[in-house]
Amino acid sequence: MSSTTISPEILSLIDPVVSGLKRHQIVGDKVIALAICHLLMKVISAARWTNPYDLINIIRKVGTILHTAYPRKIITGNIVRRVLAIIRDEIETENSNNDNTPMMSSMFSLLSTNSNTSHKVQHNQSKKQSSDFRSVVIEGIRDLIDEIANVNEGIETMSVDLIHDNEILLTPTPTSETVLQFLIKARAKRKFTVLVTESFPNDINTAHNFVKKLADHKIETILIPDTTVFAVMSRVGKVIIGSSAVFANGGCISNSGVAHVVECAKEHKTPVFALAGLFKLSPLYPFNGDDLIEVGNSGKVLNYDDFKFVENVELVTNPLDNYIPPEHIDIYITNVGGFAPSFIYRIVLDNYKTEDNKLE
Amino acid sequence: MSEAAVSGPKAPVPEKGKPVGDAAPADGENKGLSNKELKELKKKEKAAKRAAEKEAKGITPEQQQKIAEQKIEKKQATTSTKLKKQLNQTLIKVEDKNRIPSLFSHLETREQRNASSPSISHIVHPAILALTLKYSSYKIVGSTSRLKNMLEAFKVVIADYQTPANTTLTRHLTGHLSIQIEYLKTARPLSVSMGNAIRWLKQEISHISIDITENQAKEFLVSKIDDFIKEKIDFSDQVIIENASQHITNNCTILTYGHSQVLEELFKYCVLEQNKTFNLIIVDSRPLFEGKKLLTNLANTNFTQDQDELESDLESISSRGIRSCRPITQSNLKIHYVLINSISTTILEDVDYVFLGAHAMLSNGRLYARVGTALIAMMCHTRNIPVLTCCESVKFSDKVQLDSVTTNELADVDDLLQNINSKKPPQKKSFALEQFIKQCEEQKKSESEANNKNKQQQQQQQKKAEAAAQEAIADGESPIKNWRDIPNLNILNIMYDLTPPEYIKKVITELGSLPPSSVPVILREYKNT
Repeated sequence: MSSTTISPEILSLIDPVVSGLKRHQIVGDKVIALAICHLLMKVISAARWTNPYDLINIIRKVGTILHTAYPRKIITGNIVRRVLAIIRDEIETENSNNDNTPMMSSMFSLLSTNSNTSHKVQHNQSKKQSSDFRSVVIEGIRDLIDEIANVNEGIETMSVDLIHDNEILLTPTPTSETVLQFLIKARAKRKFTVLVTESFPNDINTAHNFVKKLADHKIETILIPDTTVFAVMSRVGKVIIGSSAVFANGGCISNSGVAHVVECAKEHKTPVFALAGLFKLSPLYPFNGDDLIEVGNSGKVLNYDDFKFVENVELVTNPLDNYIPPEHIDIYITNVGGFAPSFIYRIVLDNYKTEDNKLE
Repeated sequence: MSEAAVSGPKAPVPEKGKPVGDAAPADGENKGLSNKELKELKKKEKAAKRAAEKEAKGITPEQQQKIAEQKIEKKQATTSTKLKKQLNQTLIKVEDKNRIPSLFSHLETREQRNASSPSISHIVHPAILALTLKYSSYKIVGSTSRLKNMLEAFKVVIADYQTPANTTLTRHLTGHLSIQIEYLKTARPLSVSMGNAIRWLKQEISHISIDITENQAKEFLVSKIDDFIKEKIDFSDQVIIENASQHITNNCTILTYGHSQVLEELFKYCVLEQNKTFNLIIVDSRPLFEGKKLLTNLANTNFTQDQDELESDLESISSRGIRSCRPITQSNLKIHYVLINSISTTILEDVDYVFLGAHAMLSNGRLYARVGTALIAMMCHTRNIPVLTCCESVKFSDKVQLDSVTTNELADVDDLLQNINSKKPPQKKSFALEQFIKQCEEQKKSESEANNKNKQQQQQQQKKAEAAAQEAIADGESPIKNWRDIPNLNILNIMYDLTPPEYIKKVITELGSLPPSSVPVILREYKNT
């Protein structure tokens, strides 16, 4: 099983994406997700296999390479696992069609090891079969691409149900395109005010563009410094955050500065909504929050040219993300509906196969 | 017009303030009706009109006379001088383009403060003019240093004061000071500590007996102010520092937010006097970057003071001799500098104590301090980190307030938009100068627009403007620099927030350490003494 190696032609396919991820040239969660989808589609059409499990191994290898290219990005792993789930689903349906032997019930497979079951059902496909299989899987990935491309539409439709007239909202994630679209869509039916935090130092320019876009769409927008959150929280009706990854326990990763905003909201009993496309849900558990956080350029916090400071300060940190525990979020709005954080694990099970939680 | 704007009373430039005294008698007649008086007149007139409308049918001849009189007065006022008109033009039309978020529309903006200020700079002392400028440009910031500088300025004012004929010092000086304070308020509203000190000073003035000579009285007041500074600020800080230093132990981690005079002294004291080694996390925020000020002051503190003592200590000469010339931040004090957005679980993990500065302690136990303080107090409270405040009793206020929205200080919005990537406190010009520059620019623009009727030229100009805008963004200027022209966009920049008492474990004052609920007790004691 582990003997499968990645052929050079597949490596040449992966390389540009890997270097793009490493250099942070591919930015934006949606863009990355789509890039990975297209890459995997190419890999599947280029790869040669005799057995569907060989294909799974190839994809897993590719997934590992992509993960190491940008270890803090959860989405790459998510997409790879989604594709693996598509393949496994296909194998399952094929088996149930071809083999007359009844599928083993989950109670029994509980005790057998993973490799045993896979050996049992392993059989080589004929050429025609494999080309059919390939087209079915690629069709599955196309659906996935559609889902990711139209993710905002599913989320937007819920906006009217969640915002009432003359409400004051606060968003600490001005980088999120999903939040922007959500608010713009809601404006069509409701009149409301949005407070936007500055997100200094990493996203302050994005924040300024964000408020400009909101104001251009006739939404009452107020830009506030990050410090002012506590002062205004008593007047805020709802907090809306965007997220870059959602974990199976219901926690999520978002911009730096969001953690204290949601904590503040919790202290004031203000509801917090997290917007996340289905593709951001990850089957992983955040065992150590610190491992998940990316740390950025500390020159953005303290100038390097100020040698007096550089000599006298032991440490300057500039985290780019925050881990937000599930108890600080009231509801996740995804493109398949709204869910409580405690229910996220079920949605994860629907979309991923547990065998793939570990890619290596 | 330009002359009026620069040399007019709206320009609080100290150098220019001095000759005003000589010029004052010349314009004496013109000053007879200041802007404030004009405004008051207008108000009266309106009120009279309303009254007239109410009594639509029967207007008493008396009222009619009054109205007529007021109208005549007003006419006289408007035609009195051209200078007056020009001065009026330099004032800002508040309603025009300055919008405040509806939540905070009850707060006074910088423009309103300056518009409502009477044009009294000819009777404002140069020391006050200089101080006002320093306040408004954030050169002097922080409750304690603002108080100290104000009292120092008052000493100069009192020393230079001369009682006019037919009045007594006791009666007239209070009014004279009020004018100075009124002018000082145009920079920023008075802090709680300043308010307390002013109340105390006025009381002292009223207690002066009529029998002593003017010089004696002035000397008495100056020495009283000196005593006040020593007692209420310097010695109080010393007591607070000694008390608070118990909490700082070797190798502990302390977190602080922004800059507080007493905390800065505390950290220096712990290192220099008690030779403690500890970690200090400085949390900072935009737009004032006061944490950077603390950082600079600590980095500029060297060990040199106790070099003499060390030389006698033979054993440690070799090890400490090197250290003695180095700043404390390189040996004993390990500084971790972060912005407020970065404080999350990771940074708070091994914090032992949080020390917060205070602008005021309110009577209901709430801490009124630089915006962001409440956020940090909350984060630490939920993580079971003790939150301590160091606050002199002069900062205690008998006001009660429940949230940060009702009373607050509105700062200038442009502070948030200038050089957004510079990481430095805003470099501000005086208000009158800013106003003048703006006016000149507008004039230029309108002139150039009038000249350029050619379409091609306009197009070219547009392209140029776009290119300039793009360059500006690259230079660190904000895309919403002209936010006043975007109808739905508002920017909020407030100075303070309110920390609930349950987040604060202990308030350290010179009268002892106490829980926030005991603030009213101190207030009572303090008022009695």
